[in-house]
Amino acid sequence: MKRAISVLTLVVAILLAAGCATADRSVSTDPGSTDLEVRIYEVFGMDCPGCHGGLEKLVLRVQGVEAAQANWEQKRLTVTVSSGVELDDEAVFEAVRQANFTPGERLQ
Amino acid sequence: MKRCAPLLVLSLAALMLMPQAAGAAGISVDAGVTPARDRWIYRTLVRSMTRDDDPTGMGRKMDMLMWNNVLAYGMRPNLTLILKQPVRRREISMAGSKISDSGAGDLALLAKYRLVRRNNRETTFGLAGTLELTVPTGSEEFTSDTWDLRPGIYGSFRRGRWATDFSAAYRLSGAAGDRDDGREVGDELALDWAGARQFLVGGSANTTLAPVLELSYRNAARDELMGQPFVNSGEELLYLSPGLKYTRSSLILEALVLVPVWQDQNGAQVERGTGFLLGLRKLF
Repeated sequence: MKRAISVLTLVVAILLAAGCATADRSVSTDPGSTDLEVRIYEVFGMDCPGCHGGLEKLVLRVQGVEAAQANWEQKRLTVTVSSGVELDDEAVFEAVRQANFTPGERLQ
Repeated sequence: MKRCAPLLVLSLAALMLMPQAAGAAGISVDAGVTPARDRWIYRTLVRSMTRDDDPTGMGRKMDMLMWNNVLAYGMRPNLTLILKQPVRRREISMAGSKISDSGAGDLALLAKYRLVRRNNRETTFGLAGTLELTVPTGSEEFTSDTWDLRPGIYGSFRRGRWATDFSAAYRLSGAAGDRDDGREVGDELALDWAGARQFLVGGSANTTLAPVLELSYRNAARDELMGQPFVNSGEELLYLSPGLKYTRSSLILEALVLVPVWQDQNGAQVERGTGFLLGLRKLF
């Protein structure tokens, strides 16, 4: 049992380290800082910070998405479009649905 | 034979103590909302339980530590597959003697299917149906020896930073297979409700702290042997469990105090005491 507790402690420590490492991950979405296009979408259904990762992961798979950042409090998804690519809004909306959320309007 | 007597008495005490594994389920938030497609969730829970109020005056006591490991995968937006593997340690004492054992519990396979999901600007509502199959893979001391089915329904409602969840599940013990000792473990009804309110930590939407309150009801039917009920089995329980949930990005830490506010044990079973639950979730 002592061994089990040691393993658990190790798992917790690793996950805590991983959590801290990813918690501060941010995407530069300041349109003035680059030439890349930034779009902002309304997203409904996110209810805690834990929701961000699942949505961002799926949106990042959409062709033409350079970066994605969700905010559950503001109910927003900020997407940075890859240079020279025409991003299809519908593809982003579909990614939002695959994450079990509901897309609202494109705000910017 | 004299040497065997204490062991025999302790074994009997163990039988009177151990039949039902009922307890508060732990934090059930997010119960009715299925995760995103391709999302992996690892959850580990450590729960301590004690039974120490012996109505027979024999001073029987049991301490149990349960370590549950849960792995969930969002196979589709509407379907989540879940694996649960518990590990347990139990110590039983009576009249100065002690026995303890530890080992793996039964593996459980669970499918959660999204029935309803309504997201709008102000609120979110989710309803999911679950079917859990427990496979008798556990060590001798902790296996149920049978394949058990546990259908359930889970619901979640969110409004702003407020969250409430409920669940109802029914364990059909011995849906397939028989125990070696011929005992038929009673079915169990479990009802849970949880409420929480999130507060932002440091003004960042990436970190929240939420006080949580859970109410858990368990009704376990009496076990039977050849159609005859076991006197010392079956119980009704009501737990009130206050706690805290800390979320930082994809990492969630949970802690609960499990307080049995009401219990009705059949026969001469030892009553349940306060328990504790610590949990960690990592979302990938």
